[in-house]
Amino acid sequence: MCTRDCAAKLITVMALAGVAFAAGEVRKDLHFKVGKRPVISINNPYGPVLVRAGAPHQVVVTAILHSDKVELDQSKSHNRIDIVSHLLSGADKNSGVVEYEIQVPSDANVTLHSDTGRIHAEKLHGDVTVAGSDGPIDVTDCGGGHVHVRTLNGNVSLNNVHGHIEIMSMGGDVLMNEVTGTLVAVNSNSGKIRYAGDFGDEGEYDFTSHTGDIEAIAPALASIDVLARSDQGRVDSDFSLEPKHTPFYAKGGSAFAGTLGKAASSVKLFSFSGKIHLKKRQN
Amino acid sequence: MNCVEFERVLLEGEQTPEQRAHLNSCSACSNLLSDLQLISNQAKLLLASDEPSPAVWNALESRLRREGIIRRAEPSRRSFGDLFWRWRTAWLVPVAAALVIVGVLRLHHPAAAGDNAPIAKQSVAPPPVAAAVLSDDQQLLKTVASRPPAQRARYRTELDDANAFIRDAQDAIRNDPNDVYRQQMLINAYEQKEMLYQLAVDHVSEQ
Repeated sequence: MCTRDCAAKLITVMALAGVAFAAGEVRKDLHFKVGKRPVISINNPYGPVLVRAGAPHQVVVTAILHSDKVELDQSKSHNRIDIVSHLLSGADKNSGVVEYEIQVPSDANVTLHSDTGRIHAEKLHGDVTVAGSDGPIDVTDCGGGHVHVRTLNGNVSLNNVHGHIEIMSMGGDVLMNEVTGTLVAVNSNSGKIRYAGDFGDEGEYDFTSHTGDIEAIAPALASIDVLARSDQGRVDSDFSLEPKHTPFYAKGGSAFAGTLGKAASSVKLFSFSGKIHLKKRQN
Repeated sequence: MNCVEFERVLLEGEQTPEQRAHLNSCSACSNLLSDLQLISNQAKLLLASDEPSPAVWNALESRLRREGIIRRAEPSRRSFGDLFWRWRTAWLVPVAAALVIVGVLRLHHPAAAGDNAPIAKQSVAPPPVAAAVLSDDQQLLKTVASRPPAQRARYRTELDDANAFIRDAQDAIRNDPNDVYRQQMLINAYEQKEMLYQLAVDHVSEQ
């Protein structure tokens, strides 16, 4: 019985290896020793980049190259590591794909770039800088540093992220869940902005869009000072806010301003033609 | 006062004792202020000259690197052709940054030095950077011309979206020139356009 199982497993492994070989995939494993707060940069035009916190003083990179049209360029100087997927002549979005899985010390500062692949950063406490184009970007359980995200059309998702956060998106939706910080700024063109959380304590939350809708969901006991306006879109609030003076002329239904609780955090929701809705979280 | 608070009130006018105290104790903010002053001083020359001083680009580059907006040269092996292509497109970054900064400076210093005319009068005239913007857009589209048709079309759409945002924000400011929130929207719109330029250049440089 065991012999039959073992044989089946062996055949499966060999078959998978054969498929990988046939497809021209190459796996590369890289190990680096680093000091405190290393700087890691990954530039991968095509393919996912997944970065998670691992052991201190070590950077472990697993890269799967999908063809010989792409090479891995690596350099390490002092406490900085740069890895680039170097596209060779004839490489395209299929043959140029490299899949990265990387473990870095939790205090690392990382800079990640991919045009088409998913970018994922998890459990990091340093600065996280991400640039994407079409692929989804998600940042989870990060705090203590700056989180800067720029994308054209990739959706951005932040979960349990704390710090100084700046996101810019043209068409990608921006979803934030339990995100707080001294500054949380989102600048979107047509992408929707959705925030669910309590707006922390004494932070500044600036959400701006051109045509994208903005939705913020806060608990009944949130402590916020809110200013919201849409030039051409509908503006609604589920809360009974303590009224305050608006520093601009506001037509009915196009703007509101007021405070809730001790008004610890400043919340500004501005859109040109998107709808804005400040919702009360249903417990 | 911390750095975030300092940056928030940086452009509001006269420095308070609290700001001065923070400046004395924080080299980052002190450097930021001196960079902005240099850019502001040099940018005034933009109104009279098509060729700004190299100091403008140096200050911009320094600032953009510190902010992480542009990065060091990638460590890939580069041919002469790659370097030449990079050099040919590198100007897009300072142009985009200059658009943002000119926009900011025009919002915060809408009149020439010594001119106390109200902002509204300045805002009626069409933006003098409009022609340059259109010309630069053409250059950006040339930069992405070698990409697949779908990508080119997407860039065109994104550029149109950013320009539409800029136009809407400008129109809104004309209706209410002193509305600081509309001014901030215009800055955001320019920043979106800067991002398009930056991502286009990044893509070129990595090929």
